[in-house]
Amino acid sequence: MIVPLLEIAVPYVAFAIFLIGVIYRAINWAKSPVPLKIPTTCGQQYTLPFIRRTIYDRFDSPYTKWETIGRMFFEVFFFRSLFRNTRYYYTRHEHRDTRFLWFFAILFHWSFLLVLISHLRFFLEPVPGWLEFYMEVSGLKGAFVPEIYIPGITAFVGLLCLFGRRLFLGKERTISLPSDYLALILLISVIATGLLMRYIIKVPIEPVKELAIGLVTFHPVATDVHPLFLLHLLLACTALAYFPFSKLMHAAGVLFSPTRNMPNDNRARTHVNPWNPPYKGITWQEYYEMYKDQLDEIAEEGYKVRPEV
Amino acid sequence: MEEHPEVLKIEQKFPSWRDMLKPVTEKDFKPGFYHYPILEKDAQALGIPYRDWDPLDKDWKLPPDWKETFLNKFKELLDKYRSLKVFMDICVRCGACADKCHYYVGTGDPKNMPVARAETLRSIYRRYFTKIGQIFGEWAGARELTEDVIKELYYYFYQCSLCRRCSAFCPYGIDTAEIVWRGRELLNSIGVSHRFSFISIAASARTGNHLGLLPGGVAGALQSVAEDVYDITGIEIEVPVNKKGAEILFVSPSADFFATPHWYVCMGYLMLFHELGLDYTWSTYASEGGNFGTFQSYELAQKLNHKIYEEAERLGVKWILGGECGHMWRDKHQFMATMNPPPKTLEDPVNPITGTYFENAAETKMVHIAEFVADLIKHKKIKLDPSRNDHWKVTFHDSCNTARGMGLFEEPRYVIKNVCNYFYEMPEHTIREKTYCCGSGGGLLTEEVMELRMRGGMPRAMALKHVHKRFGVNFLCTICAIDKAAFPHLLEFWKLPVEVGGMMELVGNALIMKDEDQERTTDLRGNPLPGRGEE
Ligand code: SF4
Ligand code: SF4
Repeated sequence: MIVPLLEIAVPYVAFAIFLIGVIYRAINWAKSPVPLKIPTTCGQQYTLPFIRRTIYDRFDSPYTKWETIGRMFFEVFFFRSLFRNTRYYYTRHEHRDTRFLWFFAILFHWSFLLVLISHLRFFLEPVPGWLEFYMEVSGLKGAFVPEIYIPGITAFVGLLCLFGRRLFLGKERTISLPSDYLALILLISVIATGLLMRYIIKVPIEPVKELAIGLVTFHPVATDVHPLFLLHLLLACTALAYFPFSKLMHAAGVLFSPTRNMPNDNRARTHVNPWNPPYKGITWQEYYEMYKDQLDEIAEEGYKVRPEV
Repeated sequence: MEEHPEVLKIEQKFPSWRDMLKPVTEKDFKPGFYHYPILEKDAQALGIPYRDWDPLDKDWKLPPDWKETFLNKFKELLDKYRSLKVFMDICVRCGACADKCHYYVGTGDPKNMPVARAETLRSIYRRYFTKIGQIFGEWAGARELTEDVIKELYYYFYQCSLCRRCSAFCPYGIDTAEIVWRGRELLNSIGVSHRFSFISIAASARTGNHLGLLPGGVAGALQSVAEDVYDITGIEIEVPVNKKGAEILFVSPSADFFATPHWYVCMGYLMLFHELGLDYTWSTYASEGGNFGTFQSYELAQKLNHKIYEEAERLGVKWILGGECGHMWRDKHQFMATMNPPPKTLEDPVNPITGTYFENAAETKMVHIAEFVADLIKHKKIKLDPSRNDHWKVTFHDSCNTARGMGLFEEPRYVIKNVCNYFYEMPEHTIREKTYCCGSGGGLLTEEVMELRMRGGMPRAMALKHVHKRFGVNFLCTICAIDKAAFPHLLEFWKLPVEVGGMMELVGNALIMKDEDQERTTDLRGNPLPGRGEE
């Protein structure tokens, strides 16, 4: 009784929480309007024709829709802003480029994406040719015997590095909350169990695949899987269900960030604030009443002031 | 500045996350770091709840229902600003922003890391607006809203100059300036407001400028500038004020006709406009380009920038030209037209001298002076003698707001390179979008936080020191009025013999004017020109 519950109910529930949670959060964000157009401009604005704008300027200070899409693309897929990172050295009052955070982040995120793609092979029967090919390429077929699937390893290493930062660097330790460690630990354990199954305790694939296909085709059948796989599955489900409640939502949030997803065309196209309040303050007429004498004096002079020489 | 140490010791501390959740209160407030409270007359004029309190008191005499007011306001702001809501949710505490803040670099105070500054508010958000925070409390990084927390917010939200440097580095573009802006708005709702901005806001709301100059005062100040121009060039310049039917309304920060070294910039404006024979006018009603309201709240920002369009419509001008200022341009570029829709009477901003259409200002109809002058130079409409600036070795400081709130990098450089012969850039990571704040922006340009300002300006001063030693730079050019007020103190403190001035001063120096009979012997400051006249 307990096994079908874990194998079938838990994944469905976790996935439902994930899906509904993410959509709920996104809608919740979208419900708040964007009163002001506030892109952070990190490059030369669109301006007079003789002022050159480099390709970086066009993406870091986009003027058109396409440039803005370009900026988001580089932000989402290549962590453009993180690539800019520097460190301040007190000893010489100098800045140096520091790209290690960017590197760890890229290493983890890309590897993790590739790992997720490779998981498709459990859900597809027969496994399509491109996926076979992809597995061969990312496994560097022939380079290692037995075959090693590179992204799995690099995702793990990337996570450990990200974890290490929080443990060993002063600033990072100070700003890390328990939830930051929790997210990392969850992901690390998911990947660790995955690696364990693949390289050390070889888990039979057949029941896993049967279960997976059953789940995606909505004809779930409980199969007799290895306990280690069950652990892997449960951890993954926990991470999935935790996603919408946690900072992991950053993955969706970046798309909503008004400092990144708006073009820097502020003076060319006026932004409208849906709740713009009516103006409250002094009008010219009131101002004139207050300072009538002085203003009339300026008028008498013909709206000019002349130097007394 | 007696109480400020000769050498600033910067101690970095790395407390645990639990300690970070404990509020810093009046017991830990250091002189030179906290602001004086709002004055009664300003509070009354602007409708902010007032009572007599002092930041060093234990009891801040918060209004009886302060907690409710604060949380209701918080809810309201979350519903009004997607930026706030998203930024409250998506920070991963990666720390990319941590050492990007000049106040953190200068003080080593862990709560001055932009992420920690935001967490002071985010912890309250978690406690009252998220389920996880309500259930797990401290373990989810949430904390109760107490009077002590209010003290901490007041302390740290006024140690941020809204420069957005952190935002440039954040992978999600989280803009701590945006959070702090909202945070200050929250504090204002319960009357925990600082003094400095509100003096200027109240003055500007009434008289049209931050200094509180009445119309006669504005006219008088412009007259004195014209007299100084006469002394240097021998040309009598008539300055149009409140002139109906002019083609262009010119708006600059009021410091330009009041303070030094802004004054020389103002001389530069008058000289250039005279030389061009420009049909323009100043206004006493819209005598302020700057907008200290942007440091506080949407409504106050709107209150102050409204006048410009209203005046443009009344005078019947075609478009608006804006002077050298930083936060003014954040306001003009990103806020003004949204807060107050541009009047229909304005026409396309076309440079009457060159015929260039300023496409990037098509709707707002407001052009930056650097764009205007760059266009003139490109079309060779003004004659320049850059050798008159040969006594200056110039470097350019990108002001935070024109840099990260507008993207104005090349225009001023183009102008500067055309009006002087010696131009050097500061180190790469301290200019353009990575530029460092002068340390005094965002409402911090006040005496009582002098130590904070000197510390916050440290990275900029060090970058300047570098080019001063290496190239002998002796002139720091900036296009921001706050910079021009802040840097002289900062450079004195850090012992850098560098003068501070504006772009238009250099233009005024180099400008060859038709009506001038005699060779100039001094620059606009009265310094003898090298190789001319008596040395
Ligand atoms: S860089 Fe952005 S995500 Fe990272 S800690 Fe700072 S605000 Fe948070
Ligand atoms: S906006 Fe500027 S002053 Fe404020 S936290 Fe960010 S870097 Fe620091």
